Amino acid sequence: MNLWRTLGLDILSEKYSYGNDSQYGHTSAQKIPDHWVATTCGYCSVGCGMFVGVKDGRAVSVRGNPHHPVNLGKLCPKGLSEHYTLEAPNRAKHPLLRKNGTLVQVSWEEALDTMVEKFCATQDRYGREALGVISTGQLVTEEFYALGKLVQLGFGTKNYDGNTTLCMASAVSGYKRSFGSDGPPGAYEDLQKADVIFLIGANIADNHPILCQHLEANPSKTLIVADPRVTKTAMMADLFLPLKPRSDIALLNGLIHVLINTGQIDCEYIAKHTTGFAELARFVEKYTPPYVSQITGLSEDLILKTAYLYGNAKAAFLGWTMGVNHSTQGAETVNAINNLALITGNIGRTGATPFSITGQCNAMGTREAGFTSGLPGYRKFESAQDREELAALWHVPVERIPTSRGLAYPDIVEAAVGKKIRALWIVATNPIVSFPNLDVLKQGLETLDFLVVQDGFHPTPTTELAHLVLPAAIWGEKEGTYTNSERRVSKVNRTVDPAGEAKSDFDIFLALAQKLNCREELFPGWSCPEDAFEEWKSVSKGRLCDYSGLTYELIEQHNGIQWPFPEGTTEVATTRLYSDGHFPTEDGKAKLFCIEWAPFPEQPNRQFPFVLNTGRTVEHWHTRTKTGQVPILERMSPNAWLEMNTRDAHSLHLKPHDRVDVISRRGRVRDVELRITEIVAPGQVFMPFHFAESNANQVTQSAFDPISREPNYKQCAVCVQPSNAPSRDTSEKAYVR
Amino acid sequence: MDLPLIERAENDGVTFFLSHAKLQVAQQPLYEISPLPVAPRIPQRFPGHGEQYRFHFDMTQCIGCKCCVVACNEQNGNPAPINWRRVGEIEGGWYPDTHRFYLSMGCNHCLEPSCLIGCPVDAYQRDSVTGIVQHSAEACIGCQYCTWNCSYGVPQYNPERGVVGKCDMCYDRLVDGREPACVNACPQGAIQIEIVNTDQWRQEYSGSANAPGLPSADDSISTTRITLPARLPPDIKKADFWRVRPEAPHWPLVVMTVLTQLSVGAFVAIWLLQLLGASARLGVAAAGSLILGGLALASSTAHLGRPIHAYRALKMWRRSWLSREVLLFASFSGMAGLYASSLWLGLPFSRALGGLTAMLGGAGITASAFIYLVPARPSWNSKFTIADFFCTGALLGPLFAANLGVGDERLLMLIGVVAASAQFLIQTLRILRLMASECLELQASARLLSTTLARPLLLRGALLLAGGIALPLVSSRIAWLIAFPTAMAGEIVGRYLFYVSVVPKNIAAPYLANAREAA
Repeated sequence: MNLWRTLGLDILSEKYSYGNDSQYGHTSAQKIPDHWVATTCGYCSVGCGMFVGVKDGRAVSVRGNPHHPVNLGKLCPKGLSEHYTLEAPNRAKHPLLRKNGTLVQVSWEEALDTMVEKFCATQDRYGREALGVISTGQLVTEEFYALGKLVQLGFGTKNYDGNTTLCMASAVSGYKRSFGSDGPPGAYEDLQKADVIFLIGANIADNHPILCQHLEANPSKTLIVADPRVTKTAMMADLFLPLKPRSDIALLNGLIHVLINTGQIDCEYIAKHTTGFAELARFVEKYTPPYVSQITGLSEDLILKTAYLYGNAKAAFLGWTMGVNHSTQGAETVNAINNLALITGNIGRTGATPFSITGQCNAMGTREAGFTSGLPGYRKFESAQDREELAALWHVPVERIPTSRGLAYPDIVEAAVGKKIRALWIVATNPIVSFPNLDVLKQGLETLDFLVVQDGFHPTPTTELAHLVLPAAIWGEKEGTYTNSERRVSKVNRTVDPAGEAKSDFDIFLALAQKLNCREELFPGWSCPEDAFEEWKSVSKGRLCDYSGLTYELIEQHNGIQWPFPEGTTEVATTRLYSDGHFPTEDGKAKLFCIEWAPFPEQPNRQFPFVLNTGRTVEHWHTRTKTGQVPILERMSPNAWLEMNTRDAHSLHLKPHDRVDVISRRGRVRDVELRITEIVAPGQVFMPFHFAESNANQVTQSAFDPISREPNYKQCAVCVQPSNAPSRDTSEKAYVR
Repeated sequence: MDLPLIERAENDGVTFFLSHAKLQVAQQPLYEISPLPVAPRIPQRFPGHGEQYRFHFDMTQCIGCKCCVVACNEQNGNPAPINWRRVGEIEGGWYPDTHRFYLSMGCNHCLEPSCLIGCPVDAYQRDSVTGIVQHSAEACIGCQYCTWNCSYGVPQYNPERGVVGKCDMCYDRLVDGREPACVNACPQGAIQIEIVNTDQWRQEYSGSANAPGLPSADDSISTTRITLPARLPPDIKKADFWRVRPEAPHWPLVVMTVLTQLSVGAFVAIWLLQLLGASARLGVAAAGSLILGGLALASSTAHLGRPIHAYRALKMWRRSWLSREVLLFASFSGMAGLYASSLWLGLPFSRALGGLTAMLGGAGITASAFIYLVPARPSWNSKFTIADFFCTGALLGPLFAANLGVGDERLLMLIGVVAASAQFLIQTLRILRLMASECLELQASARLLSTTLARPLLLRGALLLAGGIALPLVSSRIAWLIAFPTAMAGEIVGRYLFYVSVVPKNIAAPYLANAREAA
């Protein structure tokens, strides 16, 4: 230790001095940059505009962009500290190849040669489909577009999906079924202009805090929140519906029942723009308030009140997130939500929309331009016309375009366990923390002949299993565009050089194409993301997600622009889909679905008496590869916890801060701090899923939505024991008598 | 005092407040409508006569996102474990009528700032125009007394620097007409700066400065105005209610207080023996006591973040008990040195010098005890603390003198027994007081002592009974010889418990303990 410091002569005055930044004023001198770079936040899909302060080639500071229409200068705690992720100690800096069981540093040349060689050898031996690819919602759209072509046309496997299937696949499927296409119809501005805002399974106060200011800017709103847990968002509500887990379909059917019976529906809209109303009306007859009350646990009065408020709204905003999507009936629940919006005509108008609040910063980008659950530009595998269109645009034979979707994420995992998938490429995601029923996934990954993990971070629990680790540039180190939840395309800019030898995912994809000898065919003349953007514009032209009028310059100038923005558009304004009542279905009408309520798959019993709900906390992002390395966020949220109701804790003789194990038929999460609280209902417990150290996915279930393939993260049956208690026999056998 | 705010503004060529807001001026947002009614979050003028700035926190708006905490750390370049703004939680009600509210708090810029009043080096200044309580890192010596004095836990010690720091309401940003970092970062507009009339506030603060999860505003008259929800569940309490952790032991202070008390006790014993006519080995004993006293003072500087500036602690003797303690113990040491020399050299007036030494020592212990009588630390804030400190001196001093073979050892042992019995009684009463109290912090101290700290507490009792009562009552030289170290160990454990079992008043914290060290 420095002697001057020990004596007290040195108090690090320079380090702690202040200065005056020309743009943001008086602040800590170490945070004053040489210049500010405008960009978009890389965490969630709210899509906040920000400036990154760069000093001597390092990102030293982040500030909100006061002119950005999404966030008006505000950022959440993750965004405010995002520059720390760039210099996180766990950044992946060099390609690593497993040799004799250990990962050793290799050159890019060797890494990519090995990858292509192994992948091709696997495909030669076991068939093209033996290669699987799992990507993300974290790349820029240009990279998604490039990756889709590389995987489907270059490597020629259709077993390609994103971690977006763990996130908003249900919203995608639901939108496609109801409206004929993916694409959230509304805009954030609707939060300000709706007179009723109805949030189902969406805790925006914790998960999308910056959206709350749009709510606050709406003085005449009535906020209704349906959630089994009394979240901060629920506490903000004018009317809170504390429904039982997974009873939302019954609630929605019940509301439709009441609205039809009280005539609070838009008959003209229904007649002109929807099909299936007669069947729906007959179907919901049984969803009477008493029946719905019995399923949801809500009083009839509350159900009628909700119906009354929603039915009388001039413009109703119907928003949801993971409470709906993370379900074996996720896609169907979205359809039930769309039903409610459609029969009341709450779509395509200012303030009125069924709105999926998305998860990752560019989940929307992969939905539009990716090549996973659909063809780029919201085209369908099944449509010959769509395939031909694409083949023509790409100058490839139409036979190269797959006619059906390949395996979805959970099915790729299952195929890996069954040795049908032999090699896997994971891009920018960390399934060992995020995938349900972890042990099955581990078995799958360990069975693989070759696992490549391309990520900005190493070690992560997933890169540790890899045969090859490719270090990727992350947010702040590369250029491109993100699309946020409201279809706003925003520019992402490079602020600093990639860490170590890391390359942007875009450059990695191009280099791989080169090795595969398909670079000129797939990426003709491309050298930078803007080249991909230009091609993507032409591919999106005429589609719902029409980018053709956009340029990087225009996007930057306006702090993001919403699509559709066809060529020739002159005015930048808020856009909404389906304003003309025309839907991209065969008959141009939206479909109403009859959605039957069903109980969630794993019901609690005497041995596993609690329903475990999983979710997030405001300080962390997903599997904490980033936020776990940001000291201020780790300080504020250092560990996982389990919420349990006071009455349950009392009967189990548990005290606040006790350490407990959470046990399901599949596994055990050890040593979690107990939080005794009335936030959760008796019989339910809640745990955040961010923490690899106390991984909720040790106990969650392998149950997936048959339509969207999204996992059922939100309910599974568990029991809770003090961590030091002698372990009881909780194996399956003990309960199957 | 001058008007630094106006002067600075004029010197810098700044036209005050109205012409600034550079960020707002530039361009209108691109929305069809202006999405947020931009209510000014800072006053459009500076405070007039009898006015000052204050925070307004709107609990109904706060969503607990902690943007303010991150923005504050970024603004001030503080490492993660230091948070000049913190967000706590309070919770109550029954499912589904459950309520959790958040408390975001920086410094409350109190009308009677206890940090300022206690500071021995005058490192705190209350700005005469804005009322902002400012702290000077340059002046600070890192004694951390302000961190004990503030009921809200606002000043925080930065071990990297060796000085304390705290929220200054982003004084220099306000001067520039800009929002403080926390105010600016809040997506909900829950934090604002307002102007308050201080006289009026003195009359009405109790209604608006208090909130569940906050210590009483009476301690220092916080100026922060809090807007509470219309309806708060009656059982609402701090989310961290059940989480109690021992405080820092402050080892240099354990050593310093026990040794000063021992030294004073020994000198008093020597002086009394001298008055009773003893003469053998008085000089040796005095020299020994003097050395211990010196060690104590040296040890105390190890507690400081900036030991080289320890002398500055004399500065505020008119106001700060810490300054008075330093002054009195320094005088005591000087006088004890003279007394010891006079005993050693057989000089006249040594009885008078001894009397003065005893007086100064007693006064020193009193000042030392008064340091701990602060409302923000309830388990210290009692007369038991004064009695505890004197009993330590009365127990260890005679036993130490006896070990050095001064005068009537039996008499000294008996004095020790009386002091130990008194100490035992005091400690018992003190714990009973904790247990019987309705004060949350005292209850929490009792909980700590009966759980986490139960073993050291039992050890402390056993050592006291053995070293202070049982062994001195045995008529054996060997027993008497080991009585002193045993009793000494007892007092050291006792003092350790004194420091670690205090539960300070503080604002509500989150349920999960903050990681103490950053990742």
